[in-house]
Amino acid sequence: MKFIQKIFDAKRKHFVKGGRFEKFYPLFEAFETFFFIPGNVTKNDAHVRDSLDLKRLMSMVVVSLIPPLFFGIYNSGYQSSLASGLPVTFVAVFIKGLQIVLPVIIVSYGVGFAWEVLFASIRKHNISEGFLVTGLLFPLTLPPTIPLWQVALGISFGVIFGKEIFGGTGRNFLNPALTGRAFLFFAYPMKMTGDAVWTVVSGVNSQGVDTFSGATPLAVSAVQGTSAFIESLLSKAGFTLPKLFYGLYPGSIGGTSTFMCLLGALLLVFTGIASYRIMIGGILGVLVAACPGYIVRLVSGNSTVPMLSLPPFYHLVMGGFAFGIIYMATDPVSAPGMNVSKWIYGFSIGALTVLIRIFNPAFPEGIMLAILFMNLFSPLLDHFEIHFRLKKRVPNV
Amino acid sequence: MTSIRIRKGYDINIAGTPSCDVKKLEKPTRVALLPERIPFIKPRLKVKVDDQVNVGSTVFEDKRNPDFIFLSPGGGRISKIDYGPRRIIKEIVITLDQDEGYKTFPMMNDAQLEDIERGALVQMLTAGGLWPLFRELPFRNIPNPQSFPPSIIISLGSREPFQPLPEVYLKDKADLFEFGIKILNKLTETLFISASPDNNFVPDRLNTHVTHTCEGVYPADDPGVLLYYIKKHPDENRSWYINGQDVLLLAMLFKTGKYPVDRTVVLGGTLAREKKHLQTRMGVPLNHITKGRADDTGAARHIVGGIFNGYTGSKDSYMGFYETSLVLIPEGDEKEFFGFARPGFNKPSRSRAFLSFLNKSSMAMDCNCHGEVRACINCGFCAEVCPVDILPQFTYKSILADEIEEALNHGLLDCVECCLCSYVCPSKIELRNILKETKKAYFLEQL
Repeated sequence: MKFIQKIFDAKRKHFVKGGRFEKFYPLFEAFETFFFIPGNVTKNDAHVRDSLDLKRLMSMVVVSLIPPLFFGIYNSGYQSSLASGLPVTFVAVFIKGLQIVLPVIIVSYGVGFAWEVLFASIRKHNISEGFLVTGLLFPLTLPPTIPLWQVALGISFGVIFGKEIFGGTGRNFLNPALTGRAFLFFAYPMKMTGDAVWTVVSGVNSQGVDTFSGATPLAVSAVQGTSAFIESLLSKAGFTLPKLFYGLYPGSIGGTSTFMCLLGALLLVFTGIASYRIMIGGILGVLVAACPGYIVRLVSGNSTVPMLSLPPFYHLVMGGFAFGIIYMATDPVSAPGMNVSKWIYGFSIGALTVLIRIFNPAFPEGIMLAILFMNLFSPLLDHFEIHFRLKKRVPNV
Repeated sequence: MTSIRIRKGYDINIAGTPSCDVKKLEKPTRVALLPERIPFIKPRLKVKVDDQVNVGSTVFEDKRNPDFIFLSPGGGRISKIDYGPRRIIKEIVITLDQDEGYKTFPMMNDAQLEDIERGALVQMLTAGGLWPLFRELPFRNIPNPQSFPPSIIISLGSREPFQPLPEVYLKDKADLFEFGIKILNKLTETLFISASPDNNFVPDRLNTHVTHTCEGVYPADDPGVLLYYIKKHPDENRSWYINGQDVLLLAMLFKTGKYPVDRTVVLGGTLAREKKHLQTRMGVPLNHITKGRADDTGAARHIVGGIFNGYTGSKDSYMGFYETSLVLIPEGDEKEFFGFARPGFNKPSRSRAFLSFLNKSSMAMDCNCHGEVRACINCGFCAEVCPVDILPQFTYKSILADEIEEALNHGLLDCVECCLCSYVCPSKIELRNILKETKKAYFLEQL
């Protein structure tokens, strides 16, 4: 500890005003505060302060991302081995997964961090910890086959246009990770949609590859012009409800396992960092939006629009809904700050997700667009709730 | 008796809180008045260095309202008048004589108090130097003696861990307190006395005077919080309040005919060895309180007036006119290796992001900020603890954008300055200070 402190103390002179690398002080500061909580003391009242700071808060989000991250690594390796006809022992699969996922994460963190340093140096403020989360959320939403240059491009777009041009962490109105993903989604749809992108096929062993389809549950469900119930299509393709819940199927790196996301959600809600209102609101939104179609099917006994008649619970476990509502929608900066607004916001995200899935054949998944859309509305929701709340106060002016 | 449940707030679980034991301190060699710690006044000195003063002689008055006079807390010689930047008067030090002279004030018994006119009583209180004990909400300034308060609030009970407890300062003083209440009843038609529900510390006969019981965590005992919960009409915003201990002083002025200088103060904090109530007098030097009762005062921060609202003193400074608490805690200016990644069993936090949520014992705290200032991420922790339902995260942004009207609509003036928003903020924004300074600027603009 003393030894590391000495290194920092020795190098400090180059970074402070007048030093050779004066411009890069935010970088120095970021590294130093990573190792040491600074010794700054309260100047005046509230002489004592809570131990929680932004670094800890963001670290807790990163910790809560560990279950989907590790599962994502395993799943990417597993799907790849399966598709390539390779043996699926745990260690081999995990190593394969690491080979696929680790470069994506490293590029995301590296490129995004470089932008953060650049903006912090020019603006002369410290690097905010928000990027710890953005840099990990972004790769987890991507398909495993994503080319690394697109990862770099996506995170750059997310950090610059999703956050920094509006003033950095705390002033962005869109979720930066999703902004980056939306950019890739529309700029390079070939790499972000379709059946081929969700599994890395490499080192192919001819056996078993024939049976591999690579389709995600949502792709299976979006089949048009069939009168069959989707859940039977899904289970024909091997996607039973438990399998969808546990998430061992092709999909984005971190988004397939509802179960792992729920583990993270438990930590986030327990520590009070993410809003349970948004999460539960989202689940309610999905159920409410998916129910009418299902009720029609129960009454009439057949399905004209297959997706519309899907049992509501399937919507919760398919695609990236769990990951989105737990990690993306609860980003406090782009979500509303008021409690009722959070319910409305979460509910709307859930409902919109289902509506996009049902009615828009161009987008098999709706959660990304639903969150970005509701991000735009969160200031408005806050505005109205504050307005109504203030009416109840006894004026004091 | 109305019972009120204060829904929000937060009790910090800090170690070093004082016990209920009382000890009487010996006489100090000098005492002081600290004009800079009295809000919203411009002092005009009435004495010079080397002047001889009695207990109760006028030392300075307010330039804006000369009715606000501040009397000498000791009899002796003015030994030093200390000026700060821009000639602000920091300290007026009085070296005490062996036998102090007392200025006499008119005495009163119950019957005389019944008959006296309100105006005459106010005049006696201002002449007796005790008028500044009254404070007017929402700015907490000293009220104009000519004005008539919608109500006066006395708050008994202390959720702040380092304030004198009523069970200590009211002990054997029930008569005086009742006399004080009679004085206050002369000044207003509505007198509110609040106490916490477990008010067994209030002597039984005083219990009948309690009008409200306030259940809840810090700052449930603040008069501003009580007012926020009970007010029905904007007219009530300008209520007055007075500290429970200070009610005794009003009574003592009339019972003894002398300017009352006795104070029960609290010494606490992890660096204080004897953490208890101390009977001493107004304006004593801090080292008179800590002498022999604290180990290493050099490294300690001397917080005068409470862990949340107090000011930072030093070994050589004095207790103020209002302050009745001295807390000694470590400065805490060391860096902590990998601090953010530790399990944090001993790191007090309102969130459950540290293992300290398992630790129910009280924890030592220091003055470290535990992090650096960052942009607000709208986490809403401040709004979750604000006892008067302000939304500090939105209000402070409207202040920074110069939208004062909007901040006022948000209830800026209801702010009771409890400091909890600053305490919980993970971005370490000085929310309370921003709100308080804005209130102050708004008040000064109205003068």
